Amino acid sequence: MPAPAATSSFAAMTSEDSTGQVVVRLDALRKEYGDTTALDGVTLQIRSGEAVAVMGPSGCGKSTMLNMIAGLDRPTSGTVTVHGEELGRLGETGLALFRRKRIGMIFQFFNLLDDLPALDNVALAGQLTGIPARQSRRRALELLDELGIADRRNIYPAALSGGERQRVAVARALMNRPALLLADEPTGALDSSAGEQVMDLLLDLNQIGQTLLLVTHDQGLATRCATRLVELADGRVAGERTLERAA
Amino acid sequence: MSAVWRTARAAVRRRRLQTTVIGLVVLFSTATIVVALGLLDASSAPFERAFAAQRGAHVVAAFDGTRVGTADLTRTAEIPGVEAVAGPFAQVVLDIPADGAAHSFLSGPVTVVGRADPGGAVDRIDLWAGRWATGPGEIVLNAVPPPPGRPSPFPLHEKISISGRAAFTVVGYAYSLTQTATAWVSPEQAAALRPTSIQMLYRFTAAATEREIDAGMAAVTGELPSDALVAAQSYLVVKQAAAAGPGVYVPFLMAFGVLGLVTAILIVGNVVSGAVVSGFRHIGILKALGFSPRQVLAVYLVMVCVPGGVGCVLGTVLGNLAAEPLLGNAYQGLGFNPGDSGVPVWVDVVTLLGIPAIVVLAALVPALRAHRLSAAEAISAGSASRAGRGLRIQRWLSGTRLPRSVSLGLGLPFARPGRTTLTMAAVVLGVTTVTFATGLASTVTGYADATDGNDTVGVRANPPGSELETPSSLTESQIEALLRSLPGTSRVTVNLDLEFSLVGSTQPVRVIFLHGDVGTQGYPDQLVDGRWMSRPGEAVVPSKLLRERGLAVGDRITLELDGRQGAVTVVGETMEGPPGPPGILADRQTLAELAPDRQLANHQFLFQVQLASGADVQGYLAAVRAADPGLYAFDNAGTDSFSVAVVSLAATLTLMLGTVTALGVFNTVVLNTRERRRDLGMLKSIGMTPRQVTVMMVTSMAALGAVGGLLGIPLGMLAHRFIVPLVADAAQIGVARMLLHVWQPEVLGMLALAGVVIAVVGAFIPARSAARLSIAKVLHNE
Repeated sequence: MPAPAATSSFAAMTSEDSTGQVVVRLDALRKEYGDTTALDGVTLQIRSGEAVAVMGPSGCGKSTMLNMIAGLDRPTSGTVTVHGEELGRLGETGLALFRRKRIGMIFQFFNLLDDLPALDNVALAGQLTGIPARQSRRRALELLDELGIADRRNIYPAALSGGERQRVAVARALMNRPALLLADEPTGALDSSAGEQVMDLLLDLNQIGQTLLLVTHDQGLATRCATRLVELADGRVAGERTLERAA
Repeated sequence: MSAVWRTARAAVRRRRLQTTVIGLVVLFSTATIVVALGLLDASSAPFERAFAAQRGAHVVAAFDGTRVGTADLTRTAEIPGVEAVAGPFAQVVLDIPADGAAHSFLSGPVTVVGRADPGGAVDRIDLWAGRWATGPGEIVLNAVPPPPGRPSPFPLHEKISISGRAAFTVVGYAYSLTQTATAWVSPEQAAALRPTSIQMLYRFTAAATEREIDAGMAAVTGELPSDALVAAQSYLVVKQAAAAGPGVYVPFLMAFGVLGLVTAILIVGNVVSGAVVSGFRHIGILKALGFSPRQVLAVYLVMVCVPGGVGCVLGTVLGNLAAEPLLGNAYQGLGFNPGDSGVPVWVDVVTLLGIPAIVVLAALVPALRAHRLSAAEAISAGSASRAGRGLRIQRWLSGTRLPRSVSLGLGLPFARPGRTTLTMAAVVLGVTTVTFATGLASTVTGYADATDGNDTVGVRANPPGSELETPSSLTESQIEALLRSLPGTSRVTVNLDLEFSLVGSTQPVRVIFLHGDVGTQGYPDQLVDGRWMSRPGEAVVPSKLLRERGLAVGDRITLELDGRQGAVTVVGETMEGPPGPPGILADRQTLAELAPDRQLANHQFLFQVQLASGADVQGYLAAVRAADPGLYAFDNAGTDSFSVAVVSLAATLTLMLGTVTALGVFNTVVLNTRERRRDLGMLKSIGMTPRQVTVMMVTSMAALGAVGGLLGIPLGMLAHRFIVPLVADAAQIGVARMLLHVWQPEVLGMLALAGVVIAVVGAFIPARSAARLSIAKVLHNE
């Protein structure tokens, strides 16, 4: 199934941040798990409209950093500021509301609810914010339509292909027009064809202004979708460079 | 085998919460089962148990001391077939006048036996208050002890005067199940009373039937003078008489026992099978590692049997501890005092063998299913996609206007229909028990209130001629007026009890003439059939008396007193009348028609006083005595032992079953949380707040609780409707409408909430823990 092309209507799915503002600011971020140091003084900024890929070997702290930015985990020291909000000041409920409004997440294993069909999986994110069911479903259907899987809306996740599941996950992540889209190995569980489709999709989203943070092992994904590459090693930023997107 | 043991041990350690839940559920369920089986045992053989504990006499025999000597009687112990004897004891019948023991239950002819001590090979009397009579003028009275923890209603050191004989001081109260005497004195004191007969108590090696007892007695009397035996009473007669009273209690005990048993077994099955089902993925991994299906089975059986075994042993201990006071109360309610009211050994044996068997069986069914699955199938079983009606319901719920956390929660039970059904069954049984217990408590207290004379204070005038008490000079109407004038008096009914001849019957009949606030003091509430009397010449008769005398509502009966006959019409059937043997209830005006010339003394009347709400009973009693020292006022407000026993049983078993049910729900939520860790992590990652997670998980169980409540309430009401008439029938009483109509809308509303409360309480802690799940860990572990 071909990936959808970026269109003007597709742009309406994403947040309306102006380009250039700092969306994510990490200051001396440190995270320890017992005796293990996962992040060791990471300082980083991500601006609105950027697509940043974080790469590095296993255990270098990529996913830990992503979790900190999403407010899924708390740092041992240092600060995480997203969209002007310092996450360390928020309680669990505050973090949940923050994720709901500001963050969209895509996981390697999709993390869809098996009990709900594609449409309701997407609509769920809207309903949690209090949008009525009918309205949520309408927007979910628009998203699925833009992502090219509207005809699969009533299918349960178990009966969808990997690529379709990841597109449902992307649609769900976009449901509340997040300021920042986080993707943790989004093509890691997909075959090459489905992976290509997801890469195209992420590229399209970034091209219409969606700020993107990718955590990946996949050099191809990084060079294709990202505008900047951050390399982590042993919990530290080992290198940083601007990327020219592959054609 | 070591690999199996090591793996099982590691699994038990790793699943601490699940292991603890299994252990706790088995513990409380076992305790409930021990109590339930103890109750069933108490209800099935209470007399036998108490009889064995006291080594009751198979035959209580009285011999003529002028015809046979004590040496001859002692030798009867050696006769083949005689297992044990007690005696010879000197026996005398004393006639205690009505004023001889004005403040106790004792009056009329009483059998007094001289015994040196309460022990012996036969009839080991339970001396439950005071001490044994050892000196002259000391007496021990035979009375059923009060329930554990309750004070004795009978005073020690009471004086009993017997005209022309002696005055005694009560030094103790004791209880003989086979009623070998009304009172006991020392042998020397008995000799001084000029005994009329010699008592011998026999136990035979064979005494199951009347024929065997007759054979035993024939052997005993075979070598004695033919007319030496004056009287002999078989224990079977006592047993039969006891059965009518305890019969009231038996269905209550059985109903509670069965409910407890079923609920506890269901929940153990639910928890254990749920633990195995939730481990399917682990089973698949074990198989993939090379464990044989049999080894996997063994691992899982060990995993559930370790906490199950510990829970079973501890539960048996707890059940024994809980049952002792409970069974003590139950036996008291039955009118027995078995001494040791502990759980019989067979209950412990059955529990210690049966509960582990249930645990193994509950684990075996899903484990065998896992045994048949391939490794890949087992690994995917926990996360396999589901289809069907459950998913359609969830989809429908997602389109409703309910908050999403609520609609998701409502849909959760449909994901695991088997587990949901078992949990629901447990909740239904829990609510059924609570409903039944509530109705029963209302019925029993209503029954006790209705049959307790409907008063809080009873007042009598001291009889004239008593050396112990000052008589009252007031007339009946003056006493009534005095009582009405005292602060705290709400209602007064005056009760006069006379014995009439019933024309056409050889036995006299008791007639109770009432006047005063009869209509508002609860008497008409006891009506079973017909109507309350509205004019002179009408009577209302208790069910038991109607049956005994073959009467029916509408019959006209002729009564005779002082040589004068009069007729009354039976217009209604009532459950029971005032305290004492059942009697015909009639209006006081009827007495004027039946016996206009009858001279009545003030001490013949009982004044039943109902106090105003909040009035101080003890203060009122003092006020009566101060107003007229010739009046004796007594507190009649206490709940009887039967009510105490049933209500305490209801409360304890309801609490235990409620705990077990809540633990079952707790376990279901724990398992659901574990299974849905990934889903919960995902929901939190897209912005579900901890509160919404808690609401979702609690809602999933509250829905079960609500449905369980709606199903359990009618079941509990049905059980009540079915069992109360059974009880009434056993006790030969009709069922008053008020005893069945105990359900008020507000009570039903509270009961409907009971299921929700049980479910919410059980779900809250695991739901909170689900809300605190670390999203990063959960999602990363995938």
